[in-house]
Amino acid sequence: MAPPANLTKNKAPAPPDYKTIKKQFDAAKRAKAAQDAEQETTAVVDDEQARLRDRHKAALKIARKKSFEARWAWTAGFWLWMLCIHIVAIAYFTSGFLLTRLMLDEKSVCDAPPTLNASGPVDLLPAWNGKGTPDGGCWHPRTFQRAVIVLIDALRYDFTVPVGDGARFHDALPFMYKTSVASPEKAFLRPFIADPPTSTLQRLKGLTTGTLPTLADLGSSFAGTAIEEDNILMQLRDAGRRMVHLGDDTWESLFPGYFVGNLSHPEDSFNVWDLHTVDNTVMKHIFPLMDRTEDWDLLVAHCLGVDHAGHRYGPDHDEMTAKLRQMDAFIQDLTAKIDDDTLLIVMGDHGMDAKGDHGGESDDEVESALWMYSSRPIFGRTKSEFVEPPATAKIRPVNQIDLVPTLSLLLGIPIPFNNLGRPIEEAFAGPKGTAWDMLAAAERTTAAGIRRYQASYSAARGSDQAETPGSPAALWAKAESTYVKVAGQKKADWAAVHSAFAEYQAATLKKCKSLWAKFDLKSMAIGIVVMASGVITLLVYVNRDGDDDEEAIDDPELDLAEQSLQLLGHKPNAEDTAVQLEKTLVAAAMFGAFPFLLGGALQALHSGTGDWYRGVPFASLVSIVAVLVRLFEAQETIPSVFPKTAWGWMAVIFTLSQSIGFASNSYTIWEDSILLFFLTTFGVVSALTALRLPTLTQRTLGTFHSVVFILLGRLASVSKLCREEQMPYCTSTYYASATSSTSAPWQLVIPFLISLSLPTIIKGFLTPSRSYHGLAPGYINYAFRFGLFLAGVYWILDAADSGNWFPSLREKLLKNISVYLAQMILGTALVAGTTAFIWAPPSVAVVTTAEAGQTTKAKVAILGWGNAHGARYLFLLLNILTACFLLSKPMGGGALGLFTWQILSLLEILDLNSLTTSSPIGPTMLALLGTFHFFTTGHQAALATIQWDSAFIPLFTIRYPWSPLAVALNTLAGPIVATAAVPLVALWKTDPHRKGLLEKVSRALGVFVVYFAVEALATMAWAGHLRRHLMLYRVFSPRFMLASLVLVVVDIAGIVVALAGVRVNTLAVGDVFGWPSG
Amino acid sequence: MPLIDPVTMSSSLTKGGAQLPTAKGKDAPSSEPTIQPIQIKPTPVAQAARHVFPLLLASLFALQFRPLVADPVSTMLTSLPVVALLQLAYVLVCLPAAGSQGGGASTASGKQKTGRKVRPGEKKKGMGGGAAAELVGPNAPVASILSLVLSVLAIPPLYIAFVCFGAPLYTLVAHTGLCAAHLAVLSLFPLFYVHGVDGGAWRAVGAFQAPFDEVFGGFVGAFVGAWLGAVPIPLDWDRDWQRWPVTILCGLYGGCLLGRVLGGSLFWGKRVA
Repeated sequence: MAPPANLTKNKAPAPPDYKTIKKQFDAAKRAKAAQDAEQETTAVVDDEQARLRDRHKAALKIARKKSFEARWAWTAGFWLWMLCIHIVAIAYFTSGFLLTRLMLDEKSVCDAPPTLNASGPVDLLPAWNGKGTPDGGCWHPRTFQRAVIVLIDALRYDFTVPVGDGARFHDALPFMYKTSVASPEKAFLRPFIADPPTSTLQRLKGLTTGTLPTLADLGSSFAGTAIEEDNILMQLRDAGRRMVHLGDDTWESLFPGYFVGNLSHPEDSFNVWDLHTVDNTVMKHIFPLMDRTEDWDLLVAHCLGVDHAGHRYGPDHDEMTAKLRQMDAFIQDLTAKIDDDTLLIVMGDHGMDAKGDHGGESDDEVESALWMYSSRPIFGRTKSEFVEPPATAKIRPVNQIDLVPTLSLLLGIPIPFNNLGRPIEEAFAGPKGTAWDMLAAAERTTAAGIRRYQASYSAARGSDQAETPGSPAALWAKAESTYVKVAGQKKADWAAVHSAFAEYQAATLKKCKSLWAKFDLKSMAIGIVVMASGVITLLVYVNRDGDDDEEAIDDPELDLAEQSLQLLGHKPNAEDTAVQLEKTLVAAAMFGAFPFLLGGALQALHSGTGDWYRGVPFASLVSIVAVLVRLFEAQETIPSVFPKTAWGWMAVIFTLSQSIGFASNSYTIWEDSILLFFLTTFGVVSALTALRLPTLTQRTLGTFHSVVFILLGRLASVSKLCREEQMPYCTSTYYASATSSTSAPWQLVIPFLISLSLPTIIKGFLTPSRSYHGLAPGYINYAFRFGLFLAGVYWILDAADSGNWFPSLREKLLKNISVYLAQMILGTALVAGTTAFIWAPPSVAVVTTAEAGQTTKAKVAILGWGNAHGARYLFLLLNILTACFLLSKPMGGGALGLFTWQILSLLEILDLNSLTTSSPIGPTMLALLGTFHFFTTGHQAALATIQWDSAFIPLFTIRYPWSPLAVALNTLAGPIVATAAVPLVALWKTDPHRKGLLEKVSRALGVFVVYFAVEALATMAWAGHLRRHLMLYRVFSPRFMLASLVLVVVDIAGIVVALAGVRVNTLAVGDVFGWPSG
Repeated sequence: MPLIDPVTMSSSLTKGGAQLPTAKGKDAPSSEPTIQPIQIKPTPVAQAARHVFPLLLASLFALQFRPLVADPVSTMLTSLPVVALLQLAYVLVCLPAAGSQGGGASTASGKQKTGRKVRPGEKKKGMGGGAAAELVGPNAPVASILSLVLSVLAIPPLYIAFVCFGAPLYTLVAHTGLCAAHLAVLSLFPLFYVHGVDGGAWRAVGAFQAPFDEVFGGFVGAFVGAWLGAVPIPLDWDRDWQRWPVTILCGLYGGCLLGRVLGGSLFWGKRVA
């Protein structure tokens, strides 16, 4: 046995060819065998016997391979079952937790005003001409013949009022403010508060039906389903009015068949990259329509430019200024064309946050603007100080649902049945601002409608409306008595009536907001119980007794002995039980689940209720119990789920303390800092523990990798995108500025730095184990480096396109090039990369040396033997990394580069401290790292931080399933890369003779998933417990959604990437080096 | 199939414990540093002072708490010399200097110092005359000054450690720096005084293999306390005392004093498994 130094320089590394290596290895083995045979005293070898032995050997190899494949299939089956359990738990909890609202079919009817049921006189106003008909006004005198609604998507309130701070999104749209001040009787401007979620589809529902959206509808934002509930457009259609629509095609999917076909011009709404097509369509078609007012009664024009500018560049960008100025001119031109019978409404459906995104419920996202204009004096102010529009959206805001009764009454149609809003004061106060009778009448009619709806709703829901002091019912009674009293007076104080009914409306709205559609506690509890049982199962699974082959692994003598035993036909027991464990687990799961699934389905079929899934929760629980029983049966002792080492305790403390922290909004908000704290703690402990290592080299290496691990984490933490709640203690660095969503020029350098350094760093990790052979140099040094480089080029092109660096270039040229480049990178990384991974030989080199003077005594060495599994599996991680690297912005790419280095450092730390096989700390740290880098790649547990524009990196338009996949890879790059790295915990520095690798990988995956399952369980439990908390929708609910999503994605990636990768890897290594047993 | 495998056969590249025991066995003398717990000097003054100093430090901290919350930087700055003086007096009065009899410095020569194994408070006969002179030997003031210098040198690394745990890098520099200074004076200074720059002893301390005594207990307590002190910072209670680095300092002092007292009494001589 020669020392390694002699061997490495003897021969150039073998060409990276699978067959060559195999051939060399076999030849070397034969040479060695021949040499051994020569040395043996019993030199006479029977030919017959040798052939028999070869046959046996071949048969044994096939048997072992088959046994591995079978075990892999059962392991994958087990994880598939675990995925199902998680999905069931999440689905049940979600169905009870995410609010659902009962849809009522009732519709308001023109000649049946809701005041019919009230105790006081039906009408407050004297009868008007055409009362009770749509032409004269159903419930209120009709004021306008037709209306034009211009919806400027994402029009934030501060865009419309003078601010004077020089920001590029301020003071660019002054027209509406000026007209409101100059002629208050013709126009008014007020803040317009959206009810979250602030996605366009949800907002359109609210703006037309007057109801509160529920989170359960959020999922339909991309599908767009027709509104079935009573709404303004439905009332208009029933009254025979004609409607025209221009712009955002969401309207067409919400109101199919409502609009006059040949006049309407819908445009695709999801191409965020395109700032102008939709707006140009609107502006091109709206002016001709203004000259043919006889052809329509309602014109809806939905502009998307401001929203897209926000998504693409963020508000603080020249494109935004230009867009707002364009809108200003457009409104000005449109106003000039409005005739006396037409009402013009300009409004936003929601605002945008500091970066131009929306979806959540931060102040910037919900604060929009409403401007109404009439060419004859209609509008008034009840107080003179109301003439000037409020300086901020905090002053005198109206709710977006208030548009519904206002518009309905002004156009003479009934208020939609479900409405919860109230009439806007300015629209009914009269030019002098003194028409309190009109205001009181409108308010009372609306309030009566709300009361009627509430009665219907509670009847349908089976709950009663108790009349306790301060309750809506008591307020209603009070308002009615005020009304009756005032109506009898000579000089009637209608203002008191108005405020009494307004009070009723406010109380009802408040009650609906807090109590809307009850949480289904039973379903939530089922979800939590199933999730908790799943966690327990996984804990028992990962803590079960080992296969007890740890001691024997590296003993070639024992292996030889075992092999010869097997040659003689003995079947080792360990292998049998090992294969059987996962198999029996899956069998138990099936056995437990099937009867109840079937029973539930049959019962549902029998009773015709259609809820075929009714047996699912019971089936899940029974199958979990069956698996647990099987796990306990498989071993003599009940395994302890408590950790045995300080490292184990550290893993438990990290996981548990974070889970407990989710009960507090502060700890949830500052999760990124807390994760850094934990990561550094681990690094410090491992640096100190390294001092316990026996040799100086090991101590130095251990400390070095720990320090590197810490510093990289701190460096990566610089890349962050603050959530609103972290202000003012946080500075965003992810984009050029806090109000932008483009990268700064210096950030464009980061991908190139990574492409220069990362492959070299990886090489540095492979060289000590002599694994930088075979395909590794080409793969890492050229292919991987080039992929990273091209990703950097992509982001340069993207910046050039966004910043319009080369105005002379043909429009869309840069966009075209960059999209095809991105497609090429993704195709190479994921398709070609996977193929290469499947085909790649182990990263080893076979070296044969003949010692001088002894030609017969050939010595054979395999460089990279000690890391044969890990070095090869690394390719898969690099493939995934390249794809995520492209889809993350430059800053995120940098974070992912540091992440990779941290993974490798972590592996070395684990290896030095012998923590690779039994300790839970490795997978737990990977899970923490993955979560940490979710934050460093520019995300937060808030809907608004989803980088939707990543869908357009490899595509021009939305395409399923690729767009959601791109967004998912962008959003969850951290957890996905971490999942891909999990097998390395077991594979790193592992030689081909190591047994039971699959089992170790599955255990590591188990610990890894336990972390995410515990987080999901904790966020679930806390969100359920704190369901009345003020911060529920801002903090707890988004964190729960994130945890659930990550858990499912990690489960899937665990099967599709990690386990599948291990299968390919083990087969490739096994084919070259033979199969270890077990 | 015993192929020659240079990589496997070389030192530490495969996992599993196969090579570990042998390596350990070979290096055993140097890899398992055996350091003895530090004893407080057996003089009556030292025995009294060991109880007085923690009380003094605790009352100083309690007195300074309000000003600390109001103005962390200037309070930390003004109290630092006082704390340093108290610590200086403590090490001079109570602790044996590095290299002196009873000092835990030299680890390799443990055998010849059998006389060290004395319970606290127990008088050892051999420790009269010359030994007593050595206890307050002329090197003590020099050692204390050197230790103080070394502690000051440790402030920048401690600052970096704070930053690594998430402290801001270039804002609140004075806050973090002074906090690091307090940590150095409180926990590292006595360690430097008793162990000097003995690598083996420091390795044992860093690896938590040293036996508990007042010095090591204070060291562990200060770091654990400072670590726990970070816990209340994120909470949105809007209290003044949540200001950086008040909670860290609280944990640091609390942990250090608790660790010093427990390490000197209940856990004395015990080692972390």
